[in-house]
Amino acid sequence: MAAAGGGGKSFSFKVVLLGEGCVGKTSMVLRYCENKFNDKHITTLQASFLTKKLNITGKRVNLAIWDTAGQERFHALGPIYYRDSNGAVLVYDITDEDSFQKVKNWVKELRKMLGNDICLCIVGNKIDLDKDRNVSTEEAESYAASVGAKHYRTSAKLNSGIEELFLDLCKRMMEAAQVEERSKGNGGGQSASGRRGVQIVDDEPQAPPTGGCCSSG
Amino acid sequence: MAQRSERRRIHLDQSDLLCTKGCGFYGNTAWQGLCSKCWREENQRDKQKQIQDDWALAERLQREEEEAYASRHQKAQSQAAVTPFNKFEERKTKEKSSKVNTVTKFFTPSSKTPPKKGSPSSCSTANRPSSADTDLATREFIDFLKPLKYGRQIFRQCRAFTESMAYKRDMGVEDMSECVQDFYQSLSERLHTQFKGTKMLYVEGIMDEVERYMTTRLYKEVFCPETSDDEKKDLAVQKRIRALHWVTTEMLGVPVDEEIPEASDSVVKAITDVIELDSKRVPKDKLACITRCSKHIFNAIRISKKEAASADDFLPTLIYIVLKANPPRLQSNIQYITRFCNPSRLMTGEDGYYFTNLCCALAFIEKLDGKSLNMTSEEFDRYMSGVQVSPNWPPVDGAALTQVHERLDLLSGLGERQELVMERARQLESDLIDWTDEVEQNVQSILETFEAPVSSAIDSDNVENEHLPPPLTPQVFAG
Repeated sequence: MAAAGGGGKSFSFKVVLLGEGCVGKTSMVLRYCENKFNDKHITTLQASFLTKKLNITGKRVNLAIWDTAGQERFHALGPIYYRDSNGAVLVYDITDEDSFQKVKNWVKELRKMLGNDICLCIVGNKIDLDKDRNVSTEEAESYAASVGAKHYRTSAKLNSGIEELFLDLCKRMMEAAQVEERSKGNGGGQSASGRRGVQIVDDEPQAPPTGGCCSSG
Repeated sequence: MAQRSERRRIHLDQSDLLCTKGCGFYGNTAWQGLCSKCWREENQRDKQKQIQDDWALAERLQREEEEAYASRHQKAQSQAAVTPFNKFEERKTKEKSSKVNTVTKFFTPSSKTPPKKGSPSSCSTANRPSSADTDLATREFIDFLKPLKYGRQIFRQCRAFTESMAYKRDMGVEDMSECVQDFYQSLSERLHTQFKGTKMLYVEGIMDEVERYMTTRLYKEVFCPETSDDEKKDLAVQKRIRALHWVTTEMLGVPVDEEIPEASDSVVKAITDVIELDSKRVPKDKLACITRCSKHIFNAIRISKKEAASADDFLPTLIYIVLKANPPRLQSNIQYITRFCNPSRLMTGEDGYYFTNLCCALAFIEKLDGKSLNMTSEEFDRYMSGVQVSPNWPPVDGAALTQVHERLDLLSGLGERQELVMERARQLESDLIDWTDEVEQNVQSILETFEAPVSSAIDSDNVENEHLPPPLTPQVFAG
């Protein structure tokens, strides 16, 4: 939920990481949040739910990054994960054509389920393995543009492009949240579920049951 | 009743949006229906008095709550006495509480015998589920709100709302959930206005307590309610999980090595935590169980894999844990949390992430087929029908089964022996009775046979002895 706080300007965003297993989703997010890669000295218990606090142009942003299981057998569970998310990072491995095909499937599904409410990033990871490249950058970029997504090239190993990717995503999500807020009037962006000032609603259905109680009791 | 609902409708009227002082400006519910100017005026004058009243009332309310089950009738009266006491109370709240009073009166049993204090009375359980838990929750809630500026108001609204929910139980749990969520929403919006300038966390803390109080009170009405088919689904899920007992770590691709004692320790702890989920009442506590369970899973993965767990590792392991634990009423618990938890917690926080994963695990288990375990559907069917047994489970199962049979034999042997003991004891009892009868009879017969001869023998002896003075008894004999 793009919860713009009542008092100070602060945003909290939910971002899901989607992509096939082994494309480096986990490495990417670990690199971003803890600046670690293949760390043998384990201090992190888990890399599936990570948060990051940012300050973008004077506004506080709380980023919650939800990793998802990439195995094919869990594909059907996608909607449970990406429900209510503000952004999705779709990762593929530039050396693996299949993983790019997967990303295309995800994009189709997300656009169908969430429409344009979600900011999409298509990310070609492992650019350090450029010599084994199987997905051309041009193809990926033109695809991204055709579906209204942005394309990024990253390497978790070399720590390249990741910071930029998330910063850019945050800015886009902030814009989207502000647009949404404006379109909702001055009510503030916090009531995305459409529940606003509805004191009346919880009173209205009270009369009939009360009557029922009297007649039965 | 008709009049009351009419009055509520006036509430929605345009004129009602104006300042209640009638100055022509628009009022604001956050300012008790006054406009900003009138509100400031009122507020300044009454602030001091209100603080004192707050204290007095908080104490009074606490007493009242403690005696809540003591006497319904008395409570209704004391509440009525409270109402004029605070004249700048929001009209809506006033109306609500007076309504609650009326309803309370209806439920007061006609026999006015006040039940003993301290023992939950039957009449209060007829009203609403009143137990040690809910009373404790109420007391804690009051204690929490006491030092707050609008504590009294918050408490009154929450209580009135909670009690009103008891009469909505026929309307279906989804609508009840909607009501509760609307209440959370409007209350938190009002709190944000009232506590403007304070941190968001502050209001969230209050909302947590509100949720704790309300869900504890409503738990019995809204957890696995009769109006929904939650219970049926629970049973289906339980049966399903039982039927899937043969699924192994290899089939799911679980990266946990249970041979390592530490890892299997964590697995056991995770299972315990996910089972504990059912014993909590407050959604937040339930979520905490899920989070603890997840942390144990991460620990098990880290020990086995020697690296931080990703979602690729976590979800299969969670599924495995759920299959092994078969947590009671899993479906109901998930539904309950979804319906009555403060939604912001489920959307973003860490708790929300683990909860989402648990939902995924359940969805996966429900839809599980051969393909999702990388086997053919024939193979899957064979496992499900029990024709084929999984490579890992048989030894465990066999050992357990023989153990069960041994125990059963032992038990039936014990039963037989107990029967025997009982029979013997009964025999002994009747023997004892017979024996006493017999002894009594013997004594009686002996007494009868010996009584007469003994006395005559003595007499004849005495008569024959001439050296002795003449017996004193001849007269007796003669007489």
